[in-house]
Formats: sequence, C-alpha cells, structure tokens
Amino acid sequence: MSKLGVPIALILFCGLAYWQTTQFDRVPPILLRGMQPADFPQLVLFLIVGLSGLLIYRAVRGADDAPSERQAAAEESTGVPSSVWKTMGLFLVFALLAPIDLFLGLGAFALCLTLLWGERRPWALLLVAVVAPALVFFLFDQVFEVRFPRGLLTNVWYG
Amino acid sequence: MEPLIAGLVAIADPELLVLIFAATLAGVIIGALPGLNATTGAALLLPFTITMDPIPAIAILTTIYCAATFAGAITAILINTPGTSASATTCLDGYPLAQRGEAGRALGMATVSSTFGGIVSVLCLMAAAPLMAGAAYNFAPPEYFALTIFGLSMLATIGDGSPVKNLIAGALGVLVATVGKDLLTTVERFTYGMSELTEGVGFVPVMIGLFGISELLVQAERLTVERRRVMMKAVRLPSRDDYRKVWKTILRSSGIGTFIGILPAEGATVASMIGYNEARRWSKTPEEFGKGAIEGIAGSEAANNSATGGAMVPTLALGIPGSPTAAVILAGLMIHGLQPGPTMFTEQADFAFAIFWAMLFVNLLFIFVGLFGAKIFARITLVPVQVLWPIVFTFSIVGAYALDQSFLDIWIAIGAGFLGYFMRRFGYSVVPLAIGLILGGILEKRLGQSLIMLDDQWWLMLTRPLCLLFFALTFLALFGPALWRRFFIQRDPLKSTGE
Repeated sequence: MSKLGVPIALILFCGLAYWQTTQFDRVPPILLRGMQPADFPQLVLFLIVGLSGLLIYRAVRGADDAPSERQAAAEESTGVPSSVWKTMGLFLVFALLAPIDLFLGLGAFALCLTLLWGERRPWALLLVAVVAPALVFFLFDQVFEVRFPRGLLTNVWYG
Repeated sequence: MEPLIAGLVAIADPELLVLIFAATLAGVIIGALPGLNATTGAALLLPFTITMDPIPAIAILTTIYCAATFAGAITAILINTPGTSASATTCLDGYPLAQRGEAGRALGMATVSSTFGGIVSVLCLMAAAPLMAGAAYNFAPPEYFALTIFGLSMLATIGDGSPVKNLIAGALGVLVATVGKDLLTTVERFTYGMSELTEGVGFVPVMIGLFGISELLVQAERLTVERRRVMMKAVRLPSRDDYRKVWKTILRSSGIGTFIGILPAEGATVASMIGYNEARRWSKTPEEFGKGAIEGIAGSEAANNSATGGAMVPTLALGIPGSPTAAVILAGLMIHGLQPGPTMFTEQADFAFAIFWAMLFVNLLFIFVGLFGAKIFARITLVPVQVLWPIVFTFSIVGAYALDQSFLDIWIAIGAGFLGYFMRRFGYSVVPLAIGLILGGILEKRLGQSLIMLDDQWWLMLTRPLCLLFFALTFLALFGPALWRRFFIQRDPLKSTGE
C-alpha cells in the first residue's frame, strides 16, 4: 500500500496546499522586491509532487528498493501493532484532561501508559504518575520560571 | 590566538565546568538508555537551555552530543543493543567479546578510541572551522543559496533509506518552514488565523515530537523485546598488545570520522560504518571481525566520536548542520539569537572557541567516565521502558510548552510525533524533515535576497563560479551514486556474471 498510497496521498496534500497558497495576499508589483509570498511554497510543492511522481514511477516499474523500504514493506505487512494503536488512543486521554489541568493530563497519561505497557509495581506507578510530573513542574516553575496554565492542580500552587 | 585564549578563559569558569560535567553524565545516561540517543537527548534538553546564557547553553548541547555518542557503546557491548545508531557496528564485535568474559576490555577499548577520535576531531574543528568561515566570509546571498541547496541535497544520502524519500521529507521540512509571516513581504502564510503561528512553527516542539514522541510510539512496538546484560568485573585500559594492534585503525578511523562529519547532513552513523569497514579491510585478521575483534570496536568508536567534532565544522562555519544532532544544536544557536556562519568567527569568536574548548574538555572526561563509571551506567541500560518512556513523555510535553508557553506547541509536538512515527513506518527518515525545517527559512531568505541582488534574473547565479561549484556538487550528491552504478558497477564483467 505504502509504495503507491503514500506518494498519492502526498500529491493530494500538495494539491490542497497549492490551493491554499493561491489564497495568500499578493504584493502589488510596484512594491514587490524578490518573490511573491506564494512563490516559494509553490516551488517546494512542485518539487514534492515531482519526487512523489518519481516514487510512483519506480513503484509501477518495480525498481530495486533500498533496505529501509524493504524493512518498511515488511513492517507494513504485519500492520501497526495493537499496542501502538492503544498508546495513540491514550493521547486522547491527555487531550481531554490537559485543558482541565496540564499536569493532571500528564500524570493520567503516564499512569495509563505504564499500566498499558504491563508495569504493575506500585513504586513505578507512583514515580511516573506523581513524582516525575511534580518534579518537572517545580523544576520548570522555580528554576526556569516557566508559568504554566492555571488548572485544577496548578491552582493549588499558584493560589 | 586571542579568541582561543578568550574562549579558554570563558570555559574555565568553575560553575560552567561543573555544568559540563553534569551534562556529560546526563549525556552518558541518555546514550545508555534504550531508545534515547544524542539527537533525542539534545532535543529534550533544548528547552532547559533557553533561559541560560549562550555559552553554557550551547556547551551543554554539544556535551550531550559527544557524551551520548560515546555512551552508545555501553549498551552495544553489554546488551547487544546500540544505545545510538552510531554504535550499531560496535555491537558486531563488542558483544561477542563481552560474551567471552572480556566486556571490561571491550569497554576500555571503546573509551580510549572514543576519547582519541573525539580529541582529534575537536583539534580539526579548531583549525578547520575558522578557515572554512574565512573562505565563506565574502559569500553573497547567491553563494549562500547555492550552498544551502547543496546542504539539502546531501539529505538524499542520509541513512540507508531511499534518496527520493529523504528528499521528499526534506522538502516537507522546508514547506513547514514557510508557515508564518513571509520575511520579505510580511504576508501571513498557512497561519489559519492563529497568532501563535505568525512567527512560524517552533523548532523545539517539532524536534521533540519527531525525535521524542515518535520514539515513544516505536517503543510501544518493542515491549516484548527482552534485554539481558552481560556481567563484567571492571573496565580496564587496553593492553600494550591491543594498542599495537589498533593504533593505525584508531588513527584511520579518526580521520574518516572527522571527514564524514564535515560533510553536510552526514553524521556519526555513516562514519562508524565506514570506519568499521575500513578497519576490516586493512586488518591482518579480517576473519575475526564479527566474532570479537578488538580492531572492530576501535574502528567503529573512533570514527563515530570523531564525527561529532567534524559535524560542528559546517554547523558553526556555514550554518549547515553536519549531522541530525548538529541540526538541533543549530536550532539552539538560532533560539539564542546567534547567527552561525562566517561572522561567528569575527563577531563572536570567543563564543565559538569556548564551545571548542568545552568539547575538548568533554572528550577528556570520557576517560574517567568510561573507566570508572561504565559499570554504574551499565545498570541504567536495564531501566524498564515502562517506567522510562512515561517520564520522557512528561519531559517532552513540558519542554515543548516551555519556550513560548503556548498550548499549541504541545499539539504541534504530538502531531509531529505521530507524523514521525508513520514516516518511519513507511521508510521515510525524520532527520531530513528536521534539517529541512531549519534550513527552509534560510533558503527562502537567501533566494529572495539573491533575486533582489540579481534583479530577478536568477540564471545569473550560474555565472558566479562559487555558485556553479555548489550546484555541481549538488548534482553529484543527487546523481553521482546512480551514475557511478550505471557506468562503473554494471559494466564490471565480474559483477554482471555474478562471480
């Protein structure tokens, strides 16, 4: 699938991006020095389309693959492992909780990830879900003076 | 001479030396941890350096680069898993030696070779970077444009991937660099009304996503991989016999590594492969390679560590990253408002030489860290990924947020992580994308300036000798390997008959 699917997806993406470049403001010729704002991105998009076309040509012609392509093809034949899909799903947990509190989201994600990956020891769960996020928070807040967004937990510190 | 001494004075600050020592330990830990490497480590630590002064900030990043590259050998020798891709060839002979009960000897050889290779490359860096910068001092925008094109063309040869795929990834990086306000016309592009994107997509969240979060997803695939550490008593210096056997190999690999490092975009991985192959080719006992040849370790480790100094030559002198980690360091330089290139050696020479001294100091530290600390660091290799990666995730997200204190950067990092994972899965390297992102802005700026300078007659670039030289090198980088195969390899009668 990747041999043809990815280059075709890239060409479609470039088509969409090209359309967006046509919506950029244009500088009147009398004020223009150098290029129009859309010129350079369009040049790059043409390059990507050309290279993707070359990939399609090579795939159709059955040209020799580089070792990484053979490896990618082998991996693809087995599909994305379920552990990866589940890990990706956990990002949804983070996305839902982070707006409530960034560190709540981080702690919950870390806890769920550790459990998902098979770790059950209490010290490990406590370390990744509570100790590490708390240490990171105080390190950045106190040493690097980073102000984190207010939330359920950070409000306890910020008052 | 004056900047050389000024740089030494700047680095002699005890507080900075302690910081470099701490960064060395951190770098060794990063290099020894499964899945983390110099590039990921530098990307993760980049946010920590933002509030620092430029000298300690860049010194920390270069220290991480050198130390993590060195530490890759520890996991390669003890658990047959290269801590960094640059140590992949060290596994071939290091692990068999460790299995024979000679882990200490193997690590000792790795330490000595790495230290020697690193020192040679830093000395070359001290000599070559100012010379290269001096040669580039009179470059006008067209020459810089042609040079950047050459740097990007070298992306084609990164790793063992398809050159076309590498170039696509690089072009995607350049495209991402066009997000935000156009420098020449101030027109907004691809910002979708988000004010955070006006200044463009930040390097830090993209780097963290591409190298950190995508690796987390890769690790999710490898949960069942079992790692067993070979026991060892102590690391010991190589014997006189070992030295007699390997001194030529170390010298040769140091030269190879430094040269490969200087080439734009090529890094320690390519250097170690060539260093190892050359060690085998010149060896009196090539049949021992792969079964525990001490020369194999020396060839690989001297080459990969010497590539670190070499990679900093084009990074500092021309603003073209010499390796993936150098690309992160380049991003760090830009975040601190420093302009890598010839002017660095005239206007910020003290800074440049302070970085060189820091790298030299780090390489000397390897002797102590390698000989006395390897046994301790070896234990780190067995930290469970179930504990390590959730903590890395926490650092990644907070690091992505810290620079601009923007939630959007968190989503960009996660998006870049997903993109990076699927790119790797489909055989696209993420390194060209990162380098394309860094060079994209420079490329567009130089092209715009060139067009203004040449009155929109771009073809006049071809009348400038240096531009022609860089375009010729670009042609060679892109088509040289194919032409070589076509005209030399296919016509070889032995090859064509399969003998």
